[in-house]
Amino acid sequence: MIGWELPPAFSGGLGIHTYNVFSIVGKIIPVDIYLPDMGYSFPQYPFNVRTVKIKSGIAGSVYSHVTNFIEAVNDYNDRVVENFRPEGVALIHCHDWITFRAGIEIKKRYRIPLVVTFHSTEFDRSAYFNPQESIMKVEAEGASEADAVITVSNLTRDIVAHNYHINPDKITTVYNGVKASAYTSGIKFRRERQVLYFGRITSQKGPKFFMEMGKKALEYENNIRFIMAGTGDMLDEMKAYAYNHGIQDKFYFPGFVDFQKAIEYYKKSSVFVIPSVSEPFGITVLESMVSGTPVVMSRTTGVGEALNNALKVDFWDTDVMSSYVVSVLNHRSLMETLSLYGKYEGMSFTWEKSAMKTLEVYRSVWKI
Amino acid sequence: MGKIRHENAGGLQISMEDIIFYFELHQPFRLRPLRMQDKIQPEDVFWEEKNMELFRRISENTYIPATRTFMESGIHSTFSLSGTFIEQALKYSPKTIDVIEDYVKSGLCELMGETYFHSLSSIWDEDEFALQVNDQMKLIRDTFNYIPESFRNTELIYNNRIAEIARNMGFKSIITEGTDDIIKYHNPDYRYLTPSGINLYLRNYPMSDNISFRFSNDRWPGYPLTADKFIKWVAESPGEIMNLFMDYETFGEHQKKESGIFEFVKYLPGYMREYGLKTMNIRDISKYHRPMGNISIEKTISWADTARDLSAWLGNSMQKDAFNRLKSCKNTDKTKIWRYLQTSDLIYYMSMGNPEDFSVHEYFNPYRSPYLAFIYYMFALDILCNK
Repeated sequence: MIGWELPPAFSGGLGIHTYNVFSIVGKIIPVDIYLPDMGYSFPQYPFNVRTVKIKSGIAGSVYSHVTNFIEAVNDYNDRVVENFRPEGVALIHCHDWITFRAGIEIKKRYRIPLVVTFHSTEFDRSAYFNPQESIMKVEAEGASEADAVITVSNLTRDIVAHNYHINPDKITTVYNGVKASAYTSGIKFRRERQVLYFGRITSQKGPKFFMEMGKKALEYENNIRFIMAGTGDMLDEMKAYAYNHGIQDKFYFPGFVDFQKAIEYYKKSSVFVIPSVSEPFGITVLESMVSGTPVVMSRTTGVGEALNNALKVDFWDTDVMSSYVVSVLNHRSLMETLSLYGKYEGMSFTWEKSAMKTLEVYRSVWKI
Repeated sequence: MGKIRHENAGGLQISMEDIIFYFELHQPFRLRPLRMQDKIQPEDVFWEEKNMELFRRISENTYIPATRTFMESGIHSTFSLSGTFIEQALKYSPKTIDVIEDYVKSGLCELMGETYFHSLSSIWDEDEFALQVNDQMKLIRDTFNYIPESFRNTELIYNNRIAEIARNMGFKSIITEGTDDIIKYHNPDYRYLTPSGINLYLRNYPMSDNISFRFSNDRWPGYPLTADKFIKWVAESPGEIMNLFMDYETFGEHQKKESGIFEFVKYLPGYMREYGLKTMNIRDISKYHRPMGNISIEKTISWADTARDLSAWLGNSMQKDAFNRLKSCKNTDKTKIWRYLQTSDLIYYMSMGNPEDFSVHEYFNPYRSPYLAFIYYMFALDILCNK
């Protein structure tokens, strides 16, 4: 398996997925995971970690000081191919474009079947605004060279099939999971008339629509507090928005929040809003649901396609979004029903299911 | 072919004689998707375009062709037409009214009494209930020049008290569900009496569902259901009358034309003759059949969902919340709008249902979400009752 990040070094969606899925897959079949050497030491995992030193595009030996991302990615892929040992390897599995080149090269050299996973596409990351040609080229090539493609939702499957001209039959959707016990146990908090945004504050995630929704909700209900948790390039713009509309005392921007604090925010809030313009999956939706917090989500958030107990809205339609938010806040019966059914539905997304589905994809391409 | 005879408890020879078709013809005024920002008048909360589209589609698929088929086949049946159905028919599909009128005039079709708004009024306000029944009777008289003698309540919601009110209003017969609890002791294929003394007829749900739910289900062992197979089952049933009660949309809408449902109907009379069976209207049963006893039903039942109680409407906290809010809105000056909002479908859409009822609920829900049904309903009440 060729990856990029793994806890405790980084914990983005890709890292969380890698850790959770391969902790289970690794117990069933032997797994080597290639990763960039980040100077971290990893605990004992049910899989082998093989780190690869990157020399270009980074300052010194510390991975977090990436000076030229594209260069670092290229170097990483070359090093993986260089260090790759084909003995006993039955399948290569690459995650996102940053690892595709190495996978394609290894497949060509050693004739080992290739599976690629799209955790996101360049279209999502750019929110369809100026996607980078060079990255799209790598994504298209990875998808077409692969024997099987995994996407995290049908939404992403359709993007890959349509934009990269890939036969949809070659693509399997494997949903992410959530470790529910981390959210269902622990301290109980009283829910407040509080509305939560939690994610990077960048155009892909639609923070502007959250602000607009908040402003509209406040035109009807004065007693609401909005939390915009996270950091990103649009944070200052969002703060300015609140100030310019005279609602700055209703909005709170805590910046980066750690895991414990995030759980507290989920449990104290009455609604979680995810207005993403393009979100391949949306793990925070499941985190909120298992915390018992009702979700108002954009239709362009992938996991929504598999959910009945969440309210879905077009990301730009802040009239409807504010109508849903105010309804949940004003009607306890609605809040409690969404909370109860949402919790059960969220809990049905387990990493065990993701791992089993991944193994099914492996079986479909395995040359035995 | 000879008649199939059974012995009843008293040792008397009895045999199946009559098939009783009862059909529900109802359409609600659905609410449009509403937002907090909508500044509209109470009369504009209804989803005109959707209601029209659905009514016209179902008229083409069911109301017009099915009624013609029953009439041309000489089959007796009993219709229950809600006031909201007749209103929409007059507005969106006058032809539907014409074909029903022809069928009624032919003497084959009986019309029943019910609440104008297909409401839940029977379970919370007897005066309101009586008023709505009278409204529907008046509309039936004005539209079809007909005075109903038989009664059915919304979705066969029933208890002794509802039967008593119906009797006090002059009805001679009432129908309800033959629930598992009741048919344990009472074969639904007979005439019974209510404690208040009017005729009571119980739906034979397995036989009714064979047509309405299973007709086109190719995984069902009875598939394909042909007219001769079905009539043979009826003839072999111990009892005198076979109460087949179902939604009229069964014919052409739920079971599509392509399934052969209309051919099934057309072939029924021929096989009925072979087995010595005929069809009969509800109002006439008591002339030919003796009551098999009294049945007392204290607890409220209905034909909805697997639970056969009120849980399809008042099963979750959103529904109770919405229902209470509706009741508290009684003193609005727009009473007609308030009554349209009483239509039980609007609260049924908020049902979370059991997993086994999920597909039924989803099929009927225009918003595909109980949450949205609740949100729109509460906004409509905000508009009507000045939040």
